[in-house]
Amino acid sequence: MKKIISFVLFILVSSVVLVGMTNTAQAQNDPSILLKIAKHAQEQLESQINQDSSDKTKQLFKEGTQQIMALEESLRNNDTDLAKKHFLSTMKIFKEISQQLTNSQSSQAEVITRKDTVKDPSADLLRIQDYVDNIKIIAKKYSTSIDFSELDNLFVKAKKQITDKQFDDALQTISKIKQITVDFNNEIRAHASQQEQSRAKEYAQKYLEQLDRLIEDVKNQGLSEDIIQKLETARENLSSATDPHEIIKQIREIISIKEQFELTKNDRLESRVMQIEKILLKLSDSDKLSQVDLDDAKKTLQTIKHHLAQDEFETANKLLQSLATLLEQFQD
Amino acid sequence: MNPEIVPIYRKKSIRKDGMLFVRTDGILETMVKAPLILAGLIIVTVLIPLQTSFSSTRILELIIYSDGSTHVSTQIDVDPSEPDFELDLFGKSIDNFVAVGDAGFLLSEEIVEDKAIIDTFGSSSIIIDYDIDDLISKEGRVWTFSFDSPSDYTLLMPKNSVIVGMSGLPNNMELVDEQTKLGLTAGLSEINYIFTPINPTTHKPTISSESSFNYVNAVVIGGTIIAAVTCVVLLLKRKESKSSPSIIQTESISEKQIETKSIDIETIFSFRPEMREDDKEIVKFIFHKGGQVLESELRKKFLQPRTTMWRAVKRLERLGIIEIDKKDLQNLVKLKKNLEEEK
Repeated sequence: MKKIISFVLFILVSSVVLVGMTNTAQAQNDPSILLKIAKHAQEQLESQINQDSSDKTKQLFKEGTQQIMALEESLRNNDTDLAKKHFLSTMKIFKEISQQLTNSQSSQAEVITRKDTVKDPSADLLRIQDYVDNIKIIAKKYSTSIDFSELDNLFVKAKKQITDKQFDDALQTISKIKQITVDFNNEIRAHASQQEQSRAKEYAQKYLEQLDRLIEDVKNQGLSEDIIQKLETARENLSSATDPHEIIKQIREIISIKEQFELTKNDRLESRVMQIEKILLKLSDSDKLSQVDLDDAKKTLQTIKHHLAQDEFETANKLLQSLATLLEQFQD
Repeated sequence: MNPEIVPIYRKKSIRKDGMLFVRTDGILETMVKAPLILAGLIIVTVLIPLQTSFSSTRILELIIYSDGSTHVSTQIDVDPSEPDFELDLFGKSIDNFVAVGDAGFLLSEEIVEDKAIIDTFGSSSIIIDYDIDDLISKEGRVWTFSFDSPSDYTLLMPKNSVIVGMSGLPNNMELVDEQTKLGLTAGLSEINYIFTPINPTTHKPTISSESSFNYVNAVVIGGTIIAAVTCVVLLLKRKESKSSPSIIQTESISEKQIETKSIDIETIFSFRPEMREDDKEIVKFIFHKGGQVLESELRKKFLQPRTTMWRAVKRLERLGIIEIDKKDLQNLVKLKKNLEEEK
């Protein structure tokens, strides 16, 4: 029975690796998309080359066409490496052709490194619409009483103005939308700020518990009074901090002390333990894990914590990784 | 959960004098199991840091708008023990920045040049959205997207654009609502494109290589699930005294559907005419399932990777077509009964 279980475990682990590898390997094993991209570009450029185009451009196009034929040939022969080379050569040639066509159409090739100033503000509208859609979801999360109907009407209006080619009017409407969006954003951030304060306090509380364990550990190790004093002072400062920024400042101060006295060796593992605890908490609310398995997982987590407290980092790390792997199977 | 995966305890059986006493009746099992578990642990040790290391980008998706700006959407795993997280932005011209934590709450941030300091306060995963103008330049009518990516990513090209130059190789391509979506690998990529007034319907690629990829992936994942279930069943048999029959319950929501057919499917489509064709298929499926399905069911139906389906569902949520609830830690996707409220 144990042999079977061991074998199944091995299969599980291997399949996790295999899935990861497949993502890369399989995706790169469809070189036919290279031909599609190249042909698409070829057809577009062909329609733009005319009698007025320079001989050099026409010659380049011939070379590009030959490269595509070579690309097709290499694909037929399943020679992927060669196909990739032909694809890159083709696209290099087509890029040059595009630039030549541009130069011939406009003697002044203007280089713009930022947004192009176009008259049609469709992209601007689409961008702000995406942003507002995001804001709406967050507003709902905070149960705010923000009324988006005016904004929605303005979006409809701007869309119509763009359809009717009234771009100046559309720009004005978009400007109004942006102004309202800024106001809404500020309102939502005010709501978020209130909740952030309680989240920050909760986080500080957890950090204090962790710090208490560290201070205890430092005392047990017989480290100097100076270190203990610094940590205890930092603890006092953190426990009295209420403002989120002050909390961050105090935690940064503690991290700095820990780094100064090389007390960070188990921080990373503590972080992983916190993550696993979060996963277990989520799983305990679902029926994905039986109570027995859940209890086993919790017990293992306690063992890990015990090893951490005993400075048995290697053992704790191995157990942690095994537990994390198993829990991942049950996560969505 | 299998406590047997913890061979480390066996070290305690080694006595101080260095002698190891082994029960001879269990020697075969020990010899067979130890190498297997050791090999498994080595693989996991190599793999886990890559998959779950802190501050790793889980999802990165870019959308190019027709005016040369780019929307960046990314999901990042962060260290829950850190109070804040410093994010490297892909440029300095940042607009519409939104950072959301684990529970969907807005996180405050401070942007200084191309860095954003986000107050995470224990979040282990954050979702970030912003617009940026630094990734695209234009010379004449040739636009150039230039990006040095820290991870693999997808890139949605603007409508009516044609790629005329590429410095790297895409690993995937699909057509999404008349827009080309490329899968690209980490590293520096340069893509040149032009806009064409002609709608080149006949020229457009129609095959998504993602579909073939998904079949293989599905087989592997299916194998994993079968192996996992087998493992759990065996474990349960071992623990007869403690056994509790519920391990993984895949509940079909469709049996418990709430009829939401008061809204006609055409009404939904006319409500959002700009909806993508592939998104319409998703909406149709949800509609025919009675108005709500699990996101995992959608992935199975459309053979889409988790990230792709997640984006599709979020897109539909933003359009006000669906809402997302949690059911047993899974996303339950529901058609909205009242579309007007989001209009």
